[in-house]
Amino acid sequence: MQNIARTLQERNIVVVTLLCCIVFYVLSPRFLSVDNMSAISRQIVPIGLIMLGQFFVIVSGNIDLSLGMASVLFAVVLGVFFGLTGGVGIGLLAVIVASLAMGFVNGALVAKLRLPAFIVTLSTLFVAQGLSGLIISRGQQIFLMGGFFQWAGSEKLLGIYLSVWFLIALGGLAYVVYNHTRIGAAIIAIGNSEDNAKLAGINVDRVKIGVFMFSGLCSGFAGIMLSTRMGFVQPGLDGNGLLLDAIAAIIIGGTLIQGGRGTIGGALWGVAFIGIINNALNLLNVEDVWHQVFKGLVILAALGVNWLLWQSRQSEAH
Amino acid sequence: MTSISTSTTPRLSGLSLRYLVLLGLIVIASVGFGLANENFYSLTNFGILLRSIAVLFLVSMGMTFVMLTGGIDLSVGSNVAFSGGVGVITLTTTGSAPLGFAAAVLAGMAIGAINGVFIGRLRLSAFMVSLATYALARGLALVIYDANSINVSNAAFLWLGGVSWGSMPVVIPFVVVVFVGLSVLLYNTPFGRNVYAAGANFNTSFVLGRRPERTLVWIYVLSGALAGLSAIVTVGRVSSGQPWSGLYLEFDAITAVILGGTSLFGGRGRLLGTILGVLLYGIIINGLVLTGTNPYLQSLIKGMILLGVVLLDTWTQRGKTS
Repeated sequence: MQNIARTLQERNIVVVTLLCCIVFYVLSPRFLSVDNMSAISRQIVPIGLIMLGQFFVIVSGNIDLSLGMASVLFAVVLGVFFGLTGGVGIGLLAVIVASLAMGFVNGALVAKLRLPAFIVTLSTLFVAQGLSGLIISRGQQIFLMGGFFQWAGSEKLLGIYLSVWFLIALGGLAYVVYNHTRIGAAIIAIGNSEDNAKLAGINVDRVKIGVFMFSGLCSGFAGIMLSTRMGFVQPGLDGNGLLLDAIAAIIIGGTLIQGGRGTIGGALWGVAFIGIINNALNLLNVEDVWHQVFKGLVILAALGVNWLLWQSRQSEAH
Repeated sequence: MTSISTSTTPRLSGLSLRYLVLLGLIVIASVGFGLANENFYSLTNFGILLRSIAVLFLVSMGMTFVMLTGGIDLSVGSNVAFSGGVGVITLTTTGSAPLGFAAAVLAGMAIGAINGVFIGRLRLSAFMVSLATYALARGLALVIYDANSINVSNAAFLWLGGVSWGSMPVVIPFVVVVFVGLSVLLYNTPFGRNVYAAGANFNTSFVLGRRPERTLVWIYVLSGALAGLSAIVTVGRVSSGQPWSGLYLEFDAITAVILGGTSLFGGRGRLLGTILGVLLYGIIINGLVLTGTNPYLQSLIKGMILLGVVLLDTWTQRGKTS
């Protein structure tokens, strides 16, 4: 069992992803075309951003269920500010402030009041959903045209969309913070054992609140990218689908859902994997209704692998 | 054993105080919505109200067992759609209502068994596992129905959810029977004591040989079975099976159970509290629908209610311990 677990270590998501690419290429040669690859890369940006936020939350031993719906809310916030003032800067500022505030509320309730994260974020999920439909009249769409949205949504640098560069940059920053700073080490320590982290002199509450604020900010970024990609905003977008994709990517990327262990690289490959699967299901004309079945099965399978990893770590510890 | 019984005595008085408060709030809420809507007090509306929250009663009782063990089941709403689909397809292919009933309940139990094995045996976190089955069951429901609803006309299959004796929907006595049955299971059997033990302290319960891992598996199967029963009621109520039925039902159930005084951390709570919690929450939701409240405002209010109740609970419990 442990050998299976070791061969399924996080790095091997790379092999699985590349194998999938070959299979999909054989089934549909259009899959590996430049156009399709660049479409996939743009599709996964919101998932990737939510994943980065969720990654730190999960490594610290918590969960944030509100991120998907929050990103829909923040896309609407941006649209409403743009619609009212015609200015983009103030909209972006509003999204950043609101997303940090939402993360702070989640984090403070979890850290200071010791409430379970899934209950707190389940209620803020509904608050976000409600707000997204209240600040814009029902059924209304706001179109986001011109200047910034054109630029951020379809401009490319070295053949790669700007939004993808943004994901790469934030991913790189997250990588450095996670692997090479005391904050990263503190997050891992809290995920392994909160009591030990406290004994080691880590300000657990402050780190936890910081982690939730970062995840809130990531959902704000995801909302911005969502709105620039689509060119319009409306409430009732499938925020929970984004959340499921991001969580699936993290589990597939070999992050322990019990907290305390995971790699950003693995999780980013997980995002690529999810994007490729989503794209291939469309290319191969698999009916829409099957997509969610597939996703549920992928998460369950990844949870099973995750369990094997955990077992092997338990036996290493003894 | 003695230590358990002595420790529950003071808690019970706390719970009965809560039940009185809940009863008071139920009265206040009904008076409020009665003033806002003149149809609220009619016997017919009361029948409609009870029928519309019958499913919430069933699912919330299952959720109470789950939350008593310190777990959560996010899959019940999707499971209602999935097991309803299996039941309806079985009915239309065989033409037999009993087979349709059995298929719906078995399908619900199957999703519950997946949850139970991953959560109970593999000890994976309940919200993560049930989030996966939340996606899986909804996806399977969409596949079964091919994303369309299927009309059902079989009188026997629709009886439980659709028929009323006068103003009394048949499903209400059924809910009472289920409540009595589950109360006996929870308070008068070794299984029930294992549920409380697993929730109060899993490891102690394990050392004492109570096999909490096995209890957990059965808890989630029970929750799935109640989702299957809810599916039959849901199909009966609207005379059709729908792939998007039960959406966000898990959220309503969790709120109602917490409102009813069951601890988020397991080991404390009673089924009676859940019944009162569902009544209060159901009256509020029903009132919001009757007064034509914007659905997004309803979401916001629901989110605030859950957060408010959880905050109030923590606040009062901190007050007691300090």
